[in-house]
Amino acid sequence: MNAAAPHWDIFCTVVDNYGDIGVTWRLAKQLAGEYALPVNLWVDDLKSFGHILPSLDPEACSQQHQGVTILKWSTPLPVAYTPGAVLIEAFACELPDDVKAAVKDASVRPVWLNLEYLSAEDWVDGCHGLPSFQPGGINKYFYMPGFSAQSGGLICEKDLFARRDAWQASSENKLALFEKLGLKGIAASDKVITVFSYETEALGALCEYFEQQPNPVHLLIPKGRSFNSLLPRLPCPVSELRPGMRIDSGNLHIHVLPMTDQQGYDELLWSADFNIVRGEDSFLRAQWAAKPFIWHIYPQEDDYHLVKLEAFMRLYCDNLAPDLASCWQKLNLAFNQQLPQAVQQHWEALTEFDSALEAHAKQWPIDALKTADLATRLVQFVKKSLR
Amino acid sequence: MKTAHEIRPGNVIMFNDSPWVVQKTETTRSGRNAAIVKMKLKNLLIESSTETTFKGEDKMDVIILERLDCTYSYFADPMYVFMDAEYNQYDVEAENVGDAARYIVDGMEETCQVTFYDGKAISVELPTTIIREVGYTEPAARGDTSGKVMKPAKIVGSDIEIMVADFVKEGDKIEIDTRTGEFKKRVN
Repeated sequence: MNAAAPHWDIFCTVVDNYGDIGVTWRLAKQLAGEYALPVNLWVDDLKSFGHILPSLDPEACSQQHQGVTILKWSTPLPVAYTPGAVLIEAFACELPDDVKAAVKDASVRPVWLNLEYLSAEDWVDGCHGLPSFQPGGINKYFYMPGFSAQSGGLICEKDLFARRDAWQASSENKLALFEKLGLKGIAASDKVITVFSYETEALGALCEYFEQQPNPVHLLIPKGRSFNSLLPRLPCPVSELRPGMRIDSGNLHIHVLPMTDQQGYDELLWSADFNIVRGEDSFLRAQWAAKPFIWHIYPQEDDYHLVKLEAFMRLYCDNLAPDLASCWQKLNLAFNQQLPQAVQQHWEALTEFDSALEAHAKQWPIDALKTADLATRLVQFVKKSLR
Repeated sequence: MKTAHEIRPGNVIMFNDSPWVVQKTETTRSGRNAAIVKMKLKNLLIESSTETTFKGEDKMDVIILERLDCTYSYFADPMYVFMDAEYNQYDVEAENVGDAARYIVDGMEETCQVTFYDGKAISVELPTTIIREVGYTEPAARGDTSGKVMKPAKIVGSDIEIMVADFVKEGDKIEIDTRTGEFKKRVN
């Protein structure tokens, strides 16, 4: 019997520009960087991927970046797939038929995993690691990221918290970053809020609230879906917004952010006082930033996203004072349910708890990570499966 | 072929040249509206059980085995006993009845389908909807007739509790979807 080639393959379809690819790119980098694993990342939309990896050539079929081989996933595959040690389909993407055929015919089959979306719901533990029968007698395993010790864990690089702490130790770092990003007129003591949301009326309501505040509030927003909710405030169509533009109204200053790579986005989150994030990747990075945040969760049919939001909020607020927990939860719910008046009311109420919420945000990453991060647990899971 | 989402307890599916009876299904929602279906399956050849997961859209072969319309007679631990129109009795192991057991109560009149493999009764499938009486539930909140506000209710003759519309009262007959365990409507 031949030994399997040691490489790992990760297949990812880009769904809404930065979420799915953001998670898989981080995982691929971490597996290559921290575990010295040869990783092939197959992506179906290199142009979108290029927004978070500017050095990427969107036309190249195969290229190396930060220790990861990035391969173009088109039909047919421009580079032949060779079964390796591990095959990951990210977020239940449908693998090409020739990949499935190659797995079926392999003398030594890879450990085949479906890397699922992150959820804080209870059922995650019961599904994590279970096999899924596939035609031809092949087993695929469901790998469920999660917050409990029984789940697949959370993506977090080993040196992340140390880098974050070093960054946050001096306000010079954030001011230098704002300067580098072309953001003008932000003083060290000003309130800075990053916004990476889906469309919501709640955002306009927060803008109304911020412009009436006695001190400056800076909203840093990349060109994209968040601006669709602020059209009446814009001096031009969204397509004509340019990075570095600033839109002033009372004490509110909206800055148009340039796109950054993942390292730059982390630094931005570390530099803000508050982050409004969406989906999965930025949601997790906002937690690791140790700053208060609102999670704008991906909307689902029948408002099922609110079940997922509630599950996370229960965990996050487990050891918070009841008044603070209630206030933060109401703010998140109001934002997700697009309730303009309630968002203003709960934001105002939350300001009373600023220092307690900040202290909680600092402790949460340590509590949430528990015994090991996702990559570590994944490598252990694969080793166990190969036995 | 059926999707994993359509599979119900009592179905028998083929995998790796073996027939597996579905004892339990649990559907959950992943991100972006995708479903994950967790199943408890029993291999009918080697009599061993396993848990497995599928994407909701995964396709699988449901094999059609001999089936008979039967009514529930009684429980003789660990067997549920069913009877056909000619008064023949068939024993189904409680383990193979799976989640359907939640809805089996003494005196139930609904026709169930008992499935046979190699001459042996191996599973039972309930009708898609059944009617049961509410044994206990809190009084309705005043004024709500929309059916959108839900509250828990206990069902007569069983230990199950399901969420029902707020206007449902003790003694009401309600229709339950046995695939999802959800309240459908009040029938009296």
